[in-house]
Amino acid sequence: MDVAEYRSAVRAWLDDSDLSPSTDKSFEGQEVQLKRVRQALFDSGWNRWGWPAEVGGLGGPPVLRAVLSEEIADRDLAEPGVYCMVEVLAPTMISYARPELAAEMVPLLLSGREQWCQGFSEPGSGSDLASLTTRATPRGEDWVVNGQKVWTSGAQFSQRCVLLTRTAPGHAGITAFFVDMDTPGITVRPLRTMHGVDEFCEVYFDDVVVPGDRMLGREGDGWQLAMDLLPLERSTCFWHRIAYLYERFDRLLAEAPADGDAELGAAYLALHTARCRSRDSQHRLADGATLGPDTSIDKVLLATAEQRLYDTAHDLLPGVIELDDSPWRSEFLYSRSATIYGGTAEIQRNIIARRLLDLGKE
Amino acid sequence: MEAPDAESLGFLEDTLRKTMLSASGAALDAALVDLGWRDMLDEIPDLAIPLVFRLLGETGAHAPVLNDVVLRAAGRDAGATVSLPYAGGSWIVWGRADTADGALDSELPIHRVDGGLEVPLAAGRQAIGWWLTGTSRAMLTLARQHALDREQFGRPVASFQAVRHKLAETLVAIEGAEATLRAAPSAEQVDFASLLAKAAAGQAALCAAKHCQQVLAGIGFTAEHAFHRHLRHVLVLEGLLGSARELTTEAGKTVRTGGSAPRLVQL
Repeated sequence: MDVAEYRSAVRAWLDDSDLSPSTDKSFEGQEVQLKRVRQALFDSGWNRWGWPAEVGGLGGPPVLRAVLSEEIADRDLAEPGVYCMVEVLAPTMISYARPELAAEMVPLLLSGREQWCQGFSEPGSGSDLASLTTRATPRGEDWVVNGQKVWTSGAQFSQRCVLLTRTAPGHAGITAFFVDMDTPGITVRPLRTMHGVDEFCEVYFDDVVVPGDRMLGREGDGWQLAMDLLPLERSTCFWHRIAYLYERFDRLLAEAPADGDAELGAAYLALHTARCRSRDSQHRLADGATLGPDTSIDKVLLATAEQRLYDTAHDLLPGVIELDDSPWRSEFLYSRSATIYGGTAEIQRNIIARRLLDLGKE
Repeated sequence: MEAPDAESLGFLEDTLRKTMLSASGAALDAALVDLGWRDMLDEIPDLAIPLVFRLLGETGAHAPVLNDVVLRAAGRDAGATVSLPYAGGSWIVWGRADTADGALDSELPIHRVDGGLEVPLAAGRQAIGWWLTGTSRAMLTLARQHALDREQFGRPVASFQAVRHKLAETLVAIEGAEATLRAAPSAEQVDFASLLAKAAAGQAALCAAKHCQQVLAGIGFTAEHAFHRHLRHVLVLEGLLGSARELTTEAGKTVRTGGSAPRLVQL
């Protein structure tokens, strides 16, 4: 199925389906809505396109997933952050899990029957992810995990976790596991963020036993898994987020005064630039290129555009964020994190300087 | 003329680059005619315009060929001059002879005129956009090499994060602007896409000029270093066919009155 054909068919189907979200904008409400949307898309087949048949997909180019995500964003059917977890977790399973495990598990995720999370960051390991200390020690055929993760999005709703652990010193001593979240010894504590959503969690692991056949890849493959994952996030997920920001920009246009054209134009240009760049990246990926440090440019452009959009809303809608209980408030506050999560703006510039500009070591 | 394959395109690029490194102004104008510039402009404009104007930027050469782009877009013959709109409601003519006309960039034979006729601007904006990003890459190359070569406190200044981040931001701006220049919108959206691309390229060039000059520091402030020539090109080209500031304001008005933000590129 080609892109244009798929897009018009999806549009027609979405126009006939009532998937609009309820008025419950809490994180719990978003989760319920996400499951509903996933289930409907899976049952109708639309979110199986672009995935290989081995994991329950219907085949076709992966770009179909980005096309679907834009239609979801245009209709505001699901929050992009939670919707997009699939784009990171499913390809990781396809690349690193035993084929039988990927075949068994990925359909559970695509269909909305399960939600998964990603246990990477730790209290002492943020930007310096490779310093992580959550330990996995072998015991017979099993591994025993002890430690703490943080910033684990949606852990309280998740059935599984892609978890990075330390099995030896250094980058080559990081090993990934696919862990059932109902395993004894796992404690989840949601973190309240400043925009009032319990999106992130702390997750504690106390003598958590993980079967050896749940290892992703081989011992020591964890760092490569984490490196492979960033470009995944930065292809389809970015396209989705940009589409979502365009939708929000349309809302701003409806409310903006007539004397804010310079600010509106600058915000629109930043969005357009991020979208053009993201399109180029998707095309490179489709042509067989491996995305790498070049996606740090996509990340900086997107984070800059996102903050500019909400800064513009702040400037052109005086008092609305501060005095009114509207979605602008929560979204403005959330946009402050755009230069922090997924690798800070500073880390992106370090990567660009080292890897793209070849400026040598700091 | 058929669209050239990758090999002949590479050969063409090498030839153009060598030519631009050895000639500028009226001499380059004549050399480009000999190399088939006007045929390329007629037959493969989508290849020729980005290639020729990017290389003008990268090499630091100049030629009055923007006239040709605008004239052909208006259905007129190449080789003449045409009044071109400039920032602030001004009009200029870019002459075809090597005469200093009082512009900030004394290499460029550009002078004010009283006015002009409306001409199609999309192709010209694309052309200047590529020129500006090419110039930005030239400035980044100079600043990067300086940062690696220049030692202070016993180590290359490129090892200081404040310096690295300025160069990284420059690359982000250039790559973003090039992506807008490569956008392939539908025919009815070409004008708006070109306006945005020119604005992005102008912003990127001003960002590159600021950061690269800061990294070059003292040497970049001298007329003995190549940097100032690129800076002068940027400052003059940025206002031609509308400055980034004017164009973004116009874009804001367009999307506000249109009621929604056009999604100009699609997967």
